[in-house]
Amino acid sequence: MSSLWRHLKATPAMFRVSLADTVAYRAELAIWVLTATLPLVMLALWETIAAGAPIAGMTKIEVSRYFAAALIVRQLTGAWIVWEMNFEIRNGSLSAKLLKPLHPIWVWAVWTVSAMPFRMIVLTPLLALLAWARPELLTLPAAPDLALFAVSVTLALALAFLVQTAFGSLAFFMDRSIGMFSLWFGLWSFLSGYIAPTAFFPSWAQNILYYLPFRATLSIPVEILSGRLHGGLAWQEIGIQCVWVCVFGIIARTLWNTGVARYEAFGS
Amino acid sequence: MIEVEQLTKVYRVPIREPGIVGSVTSLWRREYKEVRAVDAIDFSVAAGERVGFLGPNGAGKTTTLKMLTGLLHPSAGSCRVAGWKPQDRQRDFLRTITLVMGQKQQLIWDLPAIETFALNKALFDIPSKQYAETLSELTKLLSLQEFLHQPVRNLSLGQRMRCELAAALLHRPKVLFLDEPTIGMDVEVQAIVRQFIIEYNQRYEATIMLTSHDMADVARMVRRVILIDRGVVRYDGSLEGLSREFGSGRTLVVRGNGPVLDRLGFSLMEDDKRRLTISPDRVNEVLGDILRELPQVELTVVDPPLDDVLRRAFGEKRE
Repeated sequence: MSSLWRHLKATPAMFRVSLADTVAYRAELAIWVLTATLPLVMLALWETIAAGAPIAGMTKIEVSRYFAAALIVRQLTGAWIVWEMNFEIRNGSLSAKLLKPLHPIWVWAVWTVSAMPFRMIVLTPLLALLAWARPELLTLPAAPDLALFAVSVTLALALAFLVQTAFGSLAFFMDRSIGMFSLWFGLWSFLSGYIAPTAFFPSWAQNILYYLPFRATLSIPVEILSGRLHGGLAWQEIGIQCVWVCVFGIIARTLWNTGVARYEAFGS
Repeated sequence: MIEVEQLTKVYRVPIREPGIVGSVTSLWRREYKEVRAVDAIDFSVAAGERVGFLGPNGAGKTTTLKMLTGLLHPSAGSCRVAGWKPQDRQRDFLRTITLVMGQKQQLIWDLPAIETFALNKALFDIPSKQYAETLSELTKLLSLQEFLHQPVRNLSLGQRMRCELAAALLHRPKVLFLDEPTIGMDVEVQAIVRQFIIEYNQRYEATIMLTSHDMADVARMVRRVILIDRGVVRYDGSLEGLSREFGSGRTLVVRGNGPVLDRLGFSLMEDDKRRLTISPDRVNEVLGDILRELPQVELTVVDPPLDDVLRRAFGEKRE
């Protein structure tokens, strides 16, 4: 039996147990989900600013649609295994995972995906409220763009997960790997389009951002969902997402493999 | 089943001066010291053996077990378990072994233990029939039935440990590494667990290597012990041999009275019993003296308590 098949075979049970575990921490998860609703705050803020005149060519309705899409994408790409990895590596509870015949990163991946149904439960009333108050913000793109969005948002989730795996693996090498991730998160907040669409940046900055990984985790699927990115251009950006998924896949794998050989299993 | 050659583990530990000055200094200049937790040890364990791996705190017991289970990579030397190099963590190796460490391991804290068992069934790819059989057997032997469906966080330490043991054995491993398997348990649960481990060893011909500070565990469960201290193996042999090598002597207990006992220096215990501790090479001579004068006397020769033997072993070697 191939390794991939063994991992897939074990996944339904892992998913079920992870979901049950996630629900056990429902208050904590609800807080996490609510903190991811920052796009609604940004929506109100930028909408007010854009009310006077379009910003960088984006009208008020386009800005609002962007942040409504950002709310959805943020929920669909949520991952926070960096905290879990940091905790388990430093206090030694990773040992239990290392003694199982399935790769620990696969276990965390299933755990990340298993939180999605619960995130949807929290997201649904927010979307319902938005659909009732501002129906014009939630127009679905055409079917081909919807398919592009599905591909792009999956890649964004994979990239977010791999970035966190890479930073989480730093806990094998340093005490304060979370500090490094906080630095990344600070940059990400500004450069991914989370606080403001990257279209608001000067063109020279946009040219640089185009090749950086930040947009690939948020802005690209948001722009597809909000109708700003279509067809060939969208495919081009999805290509960039694929490159970054590969790059962070290699970084995460290298850091994990090197780190696990240094693991000291303290406290267990 | 277990082969260890010149196995060594050196930790690099940061040293930081206490207080604010130490914290600030460590920002740009950090010093390290090397700690040899395990220092070129050799031993082997045959299939089906039950071996006690003993030593004081910080002796290197747990570090050795972690290397044997693949959690730690050795700094030097080699080890093989069931033919595998543990640090490669190959799937079949992980299905062959298990490690139970104290009370903190694999149970999912907020869910009932049965959920962890179901997860392990999937992770270890245990066939449904075998899973049902093993679970029923473990439930019976470890008396898990009444708390199997309660969240782990609501279980007592003893109940949790029994569930840990069950979770670790569901895949029927052939090599068991048990680090303090009865720690924190009450006497009744300790007896259940000890009996269970012996039965598991006999039923599946499993190899068992255990560490414990509870000498009752050791006396009840193993026949061979390996003593490790400061990362070095000090003794490898039978329990009886350990008493001979490190025991302060043997204790003669006599029920009765007679001038010979006073002459030999016996001291009075309770219930008309008298006791004398002598070196092993004097036992035959003293027995002869007593039996010549008191041929009907009830007399027993007792090995010194294992605690005393170990205290002496580690004390002597450190002097």
